[in-house]
Amino acid sequence: MTATGRRNAVDTLKVRDARDVEEVVRAAIASDQPLEIFGHGTKRAIGHPMATNAVLDVSALNAVSAYEPNELIITVQAGAPLADVQSLIDSKNQQFAFEPMDTSVLLGVSGNGTIGGMIGAGLAGPRRIKAGGARDHLLGAHAVSGFGDSFKTGGRVVKNVTGYDLCKLLAGSWGTLAVMTEVTLKVMPRPESERTLVLSGLDDVSANRAMTAALGSPYDVSGAAHLPNSAFRPAAGEHAGFSAQGRAATLLRLEGIAASVADRANSLVKTLAPFGSVDMLQDGVSAAAWGAIRDVEPFAASGALGAWPVWRIVCPPASGGALGQALARDSGGDVIYDWGGGLIWAALPPKPDAQAALVRQRVEAAGGHASLIRASEETRRNVDVFHPQAGGLAALSQRVRHSFDPKIVLNRGRMLRGTAT
Amino acid sequence: MAIMMPASDQAVLDRRDAIVTALRAIVPGEGVIDSAAEMLPYESDGLMAYRQPPMVVVLPDTTEQVSQVLKYCFEQGIKVVPRGSGTSLSGGALPLADGVLLGLGKFKRIREIDFDNRVVVTEPGVTNLAISQAVAHAGFYYAPDPSSQIACSIGGNVAENSGGVHCLKYGMTTNNVLGCEIVLMSGEILRIGGKAAENSGYDLMGIITGSEGLLGVITEITVRILQKPETARALMVGFAEVEAAGECVARIIGNGIIPGGMEMMDKPAIHAAEAFVHAGYPLDVEALLIIELDGPAVEVDELIKRVEAIAQSCGSTTCQISTSEAERNLFWAGRKAAFPAVGRISPDYLCMDGTIPRGALPKALARIRDLSAKYDLRVANVFHAGDGNLHPLILYDANQPGEIERAEAFGADILRCCVELGGVLTGEHGVGIEKRDLMGEMFSEVDLNQQQRLKCAFDAQGLLNPGKVFPTLHRCAELGRMHVHAGKLAFPDLPRF
Repeated sequence: MTATGRRNAVDTLKVRDARDVEEVVRAAIASDQPLEIFGHGTKRAIGHPMATNAVLDVSALNAVSAYEPNELIITVQAGAPLADVQSLIDSKNQQFAFEPMDTSVLLGVSGNGTIGGMIGAGLAGPRRIKAGGARDHLLGAHAVSGFGDSFKTGGRVVKNVTGYDLCKLLAGSWGTLAVMTEVTLKVMPRPESERTLVLSGLDDVSANRAMTAALGSPYDVSGAAHLPNSAFRPAAGEHAGFSAQGRAATLLRLEGIAASVADRANSLVKTLAPFGSVDMLQDGVSAAAWGAIRDVEPFAASGALGAWPVWRIVCPPASGGALGQALARDSGGDVIYDWGGGLIWAALPPKPDAQAALVRQRVEAAGGHASLIRASEETRRNVDVFHPQAGGLAALSQRVRHSFDPKIVLNRGRMLRGTAT
Repeated sequence: MAIMMPASDQAVLDRRDAIVTALRAIVPGEGVIDSAAEMLPYESDGLMAYRQPPMVVVLPDTTEQVSQVLKYCFEQGIKVVPRGSGTSLSGGALPLADGVLLGLGKFKRIREIDFDNRVVVTEPGVTNLAISQAVAHAGFYYAPDPSSQIACSIGGNVAENSGGVHCLKYGMTTNNVLGCEIVLMSGEILRIGGKAAENSGYDLMGIITGSEGLLGVITEITVRILQKPETARALMVGFAEVEAAGECVARIIGNGIIPGGMEMMDKPAIHAAEAFVHAGYPLDVEALLIIELDGPAVEVDELIKRVEAIAQSCGSTTCQISTSEAERNLFWAGRKAAFPAVGRISPDYLCMDGTIPRGALPKALARIRDLSAKYDLRVANVFHAGDGNLHPLILYDANQPGEIERAEAFGADILRCCVELGGVLTGEHGVGIEKRDLMGEMFSEVDLNQQQRLKCAFDAQGLLNPGKVFPTLHRCAELGRMHVHAGKLAFPDLPRF
């Protein structure tokens, strides 16, 4: 791994507090030595290879500053291990409702990274359709900008409109705007029970229609995914944790108190009658299936498609089925759907450009955008990893970036190809 | 006017006639208003203590016109204040004497209803309620429901990141918008986001939402719509102590129940509301909670039982549970009419809007009682208890010399108290001019500079809605300067690997 090699060749500066971060960033500005912002490094293979020659390691900023279950908030330092924080809030029957994705399966690394990485990547799981994304759960942050200044934004309460909501920008900014040092996140009660309804054997477009019908119902569906039958990987059922039938599976999740889930399941079965008969997955099996979907296990680095580049496509949900089907056909690849069709994971047969032109043309025509989440370093050097924006929007995004980091010392080159110098 | 606005530019005022002529060339007919009498309705928004006639009012009805008006003002160095329905409670749409007031009231069309993607694409002048009404026949609604929803515009909702009674469960505006068309001060038209769940790149939609009209003028919005819950029922619970009501709120949340709405009123608010709407509120309690559960009937019935038990364990003295829609609406009637009800018992009132951690509620109410005595002004409290958003109504009489100043000082002290207790200056009404000079209570100069740098990325000349939100205006060049110590790269005491 070249990335690891590079890491060993450069300074790694392990900061102990926000003051240290300020000092490192200021020195980086003064000497024009861009910094790679590093927690556990589990997502460093996402984005363009960076033009950085020092590592700012925040993993020692790992304290839980305050956890107040009755206030539905947790304040935690950015380097805190996500797994530890999740088990802490789990002990009070709470969770991050946006179901942060664990990228380790897809990328073939170990560990689930830090809280800062979770926010910086902003990769939400199946419940995004109901609960929103990382951006909707970040209530406040302390961070150090590319000016080397510590600033705070937001607060420690859910309802707050005091000043610009800089939290929204920090979520999903891949460490290119500021180095977060401490964040306050919203936590939500974990549902008492869950049940998943499974339709079998639907083609992608029909499955998309079934998911649209379910999400347009009043039954509060909290997950809607489709695993097409595939020549490239084990059957859908196997991935979803139930018996392999060699058939496509469309999964719809209901969560809440048991009586409510049972009631809504009965109603939803009727809504879905035109799409065929329904099987049920109960709590543990259901949870395992959604874990597999959230983490894109069908395209696991250790699996049959482990060497294939993987795209993450976000599009208007009702157009997902047709888009994914055409993309799989024309690329010779494989797709799975989440968010009722609004999120498509596409693994394509390896080519030097990861078939970027084909993917982006199709995705743009559908009103969506595509990021290349897994690809070789060589490919990530030559292909736009994040979806290129139209002229005016790209210019505004750059001005926004400069307003935080005018010298581009934070994760230089990670999001935008050609900013390597 | 107690608050200072940016000094007027005499050179601009001297060119008023030429400016009006130029604007008429862009927006023909009745779209440009320059007579003092006709501009009167635009002098003020929902924060009526502040009034200022604008230099001229422009009411464009196409994006292209908005773009041309902004481009002209940009080139001429003329300030612009955008306005939706003018219901802001923080003075966000207060005009400037040397500024163009840009009204979006003619953008009244819903452009597309897309049930499959569960979105509505709308122009900004459409009212919040009109969106819900347009999709009601298919069982859908737009979730954020500010109490001004019959009048306030969706464009204004985006500008202010409006909340409402149901945002504990369903989120604020920012959690329910997906995309927009926005015109920058330069006249440039951009499209951000759309029908997909997320934008590409930085979350610009997220930063525009709640930016109080300082970053751009929105000409189209894509909002999420939801299916209406199958049923809703409410409990009305009285407590002899405010502390017990606060404890009840904490225990409900602590038990994993997120009600659709959870409102609290204190004794003065209960009495004012009951006298006005006769909702059957108990008059011998210190605090009243209205707790609404929504969802499938079996779920609501079960949660009603759980909440009732929690309320009893907290020492509730009265508890009524709605058994019909009429009864549920009656419970709400008093709460929803709380502001006008207070208006009946006082010539004037100031509506404050701070947020505190839920657990700090009893402390906050005790502090407000002390301040009420100190300033010798009555106060009634209504409170979005579920999310800690406090709305103290300060009663005063503008005809009594010095009372408005006392009321404003009282209000400022309440907001300082919110920040001290771990909360924030505003939960849903916005900073505007009302809380502008209190921003320093919550943010350092460094914090505010970072926010203003972001403003520079959208509006480098500071022409769009200046004088709002930020207590001090800085030039962008000044904000962009680096203050870095000469290239030291020593870190002698940092662990290295």
